[in-house]
Amino acid sequence: MIDMRTSKWPLFIAAAAFLAACGGEPPPQDSLNVENGLDSATLAERMQKTKNIFYNIPSPMETAALLKKAGAEYNSKILNDVKNVDKYTAASAQALNLGVYGADLSYASVFNHTQESMFYTSCSRKLADRLGVMSAFNDSTLELMQAKMNDRDALLDIISETYWNVDGYLKENGRDNISALMIAGGWVEGLYIATQVSSTNDSPELRQRIAEQKFSLDDLAALINSYDVKDTRLDGVKEDLKGLQALYADVQQGAPGSGTSQENGVTVVGGGGAAASLSDAQLTAIRDKTAAIRNSYIN
Amino acid sequence: MLNVRTILPKAFVAGAFVLLAGMASAQCRSFAKNKCVPELAPYKFNESFNAAQLAPGEEAEVKLTLYSGQEYRVMVCTHPILGEVNWKLVDQNNQIVFESLADNPKHSFDLKAASTVPMKVVVWVPTRPTSELVHVGCVAVLLGFKE
Repeated sequence: MIDMRTSKWPLFIAAAAFLAACGGEPPPQDSLNVENGLDSATLAERMQKTKNIFYNIPSPMETAALLKKAGAEYNSKILNDVKNVDKYTAASAQALNLGVYGADLSYASVFNHTQESMFYTSCSRKLADRLGVMSAFNDSTLELMQAKMNDRDALLDIISETYWNVDGYLKENGRDNISALMIAGGWVEGLYIATQVSSTNDSPELRQRIAEQKFSLDDLAALINSYDVKDTRLDGVKEDLKGLQALYADVQQGAPGSGTSQENGVTVVGGGGAAASLSDAQLTAIRDKTAAIRNSYIN
Repeated sequence: MLNVRTILPKAFVAGAFVLLAGMASAQCRSFAKNKCVPELAPYKFNESFNAAQLAPGEEAEVKLTLYSGQEYRVMVCTHPILGEVNWKLVDQNNQIVFESLADNPKHSFDLKAASTVPMKVVVWVPTRPTSELVHVGCVAVLLGFKE
């Protein structure tokens, strides 16, 4: 049987051909128009509205970079098989797995597994296209990635920009629930990768990073809960996150320090804080729960 | 009974509003991408698009987690039509770590986290009491990190 993770070129060529049919650029920045001036009554009405609150969930790229710094190793066997991509027919499954493949793409790219990056790009591209996010992967994305295959930093920049375009496109078109599913899928895959790597490549640093995900888990749950839309899949994700929050409730997340100092002209915050940690039992419970959630998304 | 002559214009206005809001948001992203993200260098953009169309008197808040040992650049980028804004970075105890006011603006702040800390960027647009006509403009809060 052909293993699509190792047999790369057919998929790449197919994806490249597929890409050639797409296009669309974001509006040029110079054409930025603001709303017409507001009279004082309209302004007062706007100010009655709730304050804008955003949750900065760590992107798959940021999480992968943290894992690498923590001494994690690359393991392609734990990633979602590219053959699964055609199984996702419902928009919610496509959105979740766009996040999953996006995280796999970031993991492969940060660890410099360029050819595998190309496969995960083509999977992400397929799902984005099925979700109608045509302009997020512009005509030259894959060609540009191919041209920059040996320039890791440039490749990471292209991937970052693409992820940003997809997320932005979804939000701008009132598809916040799809964007939320994509972000949740990416975050869960990031935690899945970290916990799976820890079973073969355990270290205090890696455990610390897994424990610290308690902060972003709470932010992600708040983000998902902020969407006031009727979406059964989103409700399911809320329950998944609640299950993880229950396991994280007893995790020693460390004491964030409140000291501020200067180091070579740069402000250092969080001085005097204690590092987060995980017991063996906590790590096993979080690993198992994350695997169960993640497998329900990819299957 | 439904009156088509009153419903149709309302539906048109509502549709136009949704369309315009989407366009404004797209333009905001395009502005942030072209004008703000390049200024994060040499820090790597963390891909989170936190931007809103704000009017004078309005406020936005971005919650973020900074990880121990990591170096970051926090940037607040504003479209010129809106003018300068006030912003501050506060820790979990609401202590101000950094503040920039509109009359002496700084658009970015570099920092390093000694321990993993939840923080918050708060942006508020100064009011303009002398003007009856005010403009809405794009404000983006971006985070860059060093790999």
